[in-house]
Amino acid sequence: MRPKQVWLIVALLSALGIACASASLQAQTVPQTVDQQPSPSSSAEQIYAAARPRLLQIRTLVAAAGRQSSIGSGFLVSSGGLAITNYHVVSQFALEPATYRLEYAAADGSRGRLQLLAIDLANDLAVVRLEGHDLPHFDFEERALNGSMPKGERLYSMGNPLDLGFTIVEGTYNGLVDRSYGERVHFSGALNPGMSGGPTVTGDGRVAGINVAKQQGGELVSFLVPARFATALLERAEGVSPPGPTELRAEIGRQFMAWQAGLYRAVAERGFTLSSFGPYAAPESAAPWFTCWAQTNADQVPKPRVSSETTNCYGDTQLFIANDLSTGHIRVTHSYFRSLALNEFQFASFLSQQFIPSFTQSYARKWLTGQRCEENFVRAAAPEERPPLRVMWCARAYRAFEGVYDVWVLTLTQDRSDEALVSRLVMQGVTFDNALALTKRFLEAVQWKK
Amino acid sequence: MEEVTWVEVLSRHREVAARLRFTGAEIRIGRAYDNDVVLDDPYVAPRHLLIRRDPSGALVAEDLGSANGLYADRGRTRLPRIVLDGERPIRIGHTLLRVRAASQPVAPERIEADQRRRWPLPVALGATVLGIEALSLWLGQVAEPRAARYMEPLLALAVAATGWSTIWALIARIFSTQAHFERHLTIALSGLLVYSLYDEVADFATYSFVSPYLSLYKYVGMWAVVGAVCFFHLREINPTRLRLKAGATIALAAGAIAFQTLSQSEFGGGDRLVYSRHLMPPELRLTPVETEDDFFSAVEQLKGKLEADRKEELP
Repeated sequence: MRPKQVWLIVALLSALGIACASASLQAQTVPQTVDQQPSPSSSAEQIYAAARPRLLQIRTLVAAAGRQSSIGSGFLVSSGGLAITNYHVVSQFALEPATYRLEYAAADGSRGRLQLLAIDLANDLAVVRLEGHDLPHFDFEERALNGSMPKGERLYSMGNPLDLGFTIVEGTYNGLVDRSYGERVHFSGALNPGMSGGPTVTGDGRVAGINVAKQQGGELVSFLVPARFATALLERAEGVSPPGPTELRAEIGRQFMAWQAGLYRAVAERGFTLSSFGPYAAPESAAPWFTCWAQTNADQVPKPRVSSETTNCYGDTQLFIANDLSTGHIRVTHSYFRSLALNEFQFASFLSQQFIPSFTQSYARKWLTGQRCEENFVRAAAPEERPPLRVMWCARAYRAFEGVYDVWVLTLTQDRSDEALVSRLVMQGVTFDNALALTKRFLEAVQWKK
Repeated sequence: MEEVTWVEVLSRHREVAARLRFTGAEIRIGRAYDNDVVLDDPYVAPRHLLIRRDPSGALVAEDLGSANGLYADRGRTRLPRIVLDGERPIRIGHTLLRVRAASQPVAPERIEADQRRRWPLPVALGATVLGIEALSLWLGQVAEPRAARYMEPLLALAVAATGWSTIWALIARIFSTQAHFERHLTIALSGLLVYSLYDEVADFATYSFVSPYLSLYKYVGMWAVVGAVCFFHLREINPTRLRLKAGATIALAAGAIAFQTLSQSEFGGGDRLVYSRHLMPPELRLTPVETEDDFFSAVEQLKGKLEADRKEELP
């Protein structure tokens, strides 16, 4: 099923279990056989020694208690005190500036306040500033900015995993992730919670990417934000004064809106391809960042009473807003059912169990309203090509962001009593108009096979 | 000619506990042994009541100066003298009395129903109810057919109907003299039959007319049936004060509906998802298929509702 990415932030006590487990996993260096290069461990030693004063641990503190609520990493990028981290490291502060405050802790033990200057929601980046001048800082790798780095190049990732202290980890650059809507670098190295926002650098200590996530259930499958997004955000943050509390939330709303507009434009441009299911043809997104998995019960024992073929396609399009609000998913599921041993009433009862609304994300009342649904028998134009459908269209609104909704559409073909196609389209974090437009195209694409 | 007068001492449930025949002109009632009717009620005076005929020939009860007095049936006003009509009892102390003349009219003879004839109706009703339930189980069967899937719900239904009727029969035995189990069973089974038909029709209409609120508020019909069944049970026990009984059962049903509506509206913070939970074969659709445009303009209506939900203050 769906692989899950986890963000590398340490919050509350959730890190404890991972911390114990990770204590026994010592990083081992593989002997380097290629000539003309310094041995990796000695080069890591040099890189870390140079990087140490430029690394930050970024803490979100509960303002009233003065205790940390979550921790991540960051790194200095200008002598004037600008530093890069992940948006998800500072999201609590960005959304609730009255409740939280930001602090940094450097490798030499110094601490101080941080100001949040700019965020990039889509690429999960933020620019913060600390007081100081003539500070040592990182530079960006030119080959990373223009995308000419070779697969297999050795990279070194730094950060403060699980609050254990600053750490350097070796790994390899594996290019951009295929089938991802947002650009992500695939880094084969051990990233751990707490390293979020830390830099991943080349052998000469220049930043190639920013630590952001790892694959749950994978080994050493980690992800970086490409460096070019950080330089772009840095340009925007240069010289701006820190936005006020309401401005930040409004900015998050604006970026959320712009992100979904771009995504749904891209989905619409790519269009649908038709897949066949029994006598029906149904739409699947033609966009390359969709992954489809199929499932059947043909080999089930005892013999199934209804045969089923299910295709589940989802886009790798997630967007982090807050610790308890991840959105942006698009999913298309088709299930074709044919009765083998049920009469038409029994088959309808069976379909009732499939025709159930459900979101993948649990219901968070803080962020979302309750769902409202509209259902009816519907037939799109050109009735000679399309079966009548039973359609259910449900939506819930985001409380904090005006005009954005989670929407799901469920359709059931109503032309035969012993076979049916149940289709589901889930859109999270979408405007009403975009959702309606995609639903229309979706409905019109459910048809009889030609 | 001697006038015959009957004095009846009534129980709390107004059944005749003792019936005494008198031919004299006056009848004295009290606790003392020089009375014609001696009552052991400690709230009755030794010489409490005198029954005689007034000059017009009507029977009259007169208080002989007791401390607790004379009352008409449930009346609250103490009366020195009551003209007796043979129907309304009088009360002295804690005792109910009824005085009747020989000319008292009585109800015509009740025709004896054939005792065996009463059973076919509940048996037929029971078979119908179980049949409908079995049919609906069969039509809802999507997994491997197993006898237990039918036996358990049918047995539970039978036990519930029998238990319910037994309780009403016991209540009837306490408050009237006869249990009439078969009559209470008939009432309970009629209620079940009405409800199961209503249930099927509601599910059908929910699908066929796309009205999910119909199945959401199905419990309204259920409580109405429960109320009606209770009313008929009460009427069967004792067909008096029907208005009071109707009022009580309506209040019970209304209270239950209100309570369930409240708990349903609070379910999940008032965000209960309303949709049709039972699909039927497509041939049973009775509404015309909407055009895409009509459907989407209905969907547009949700936007305003969601916007209102969004602005709602969270507790």
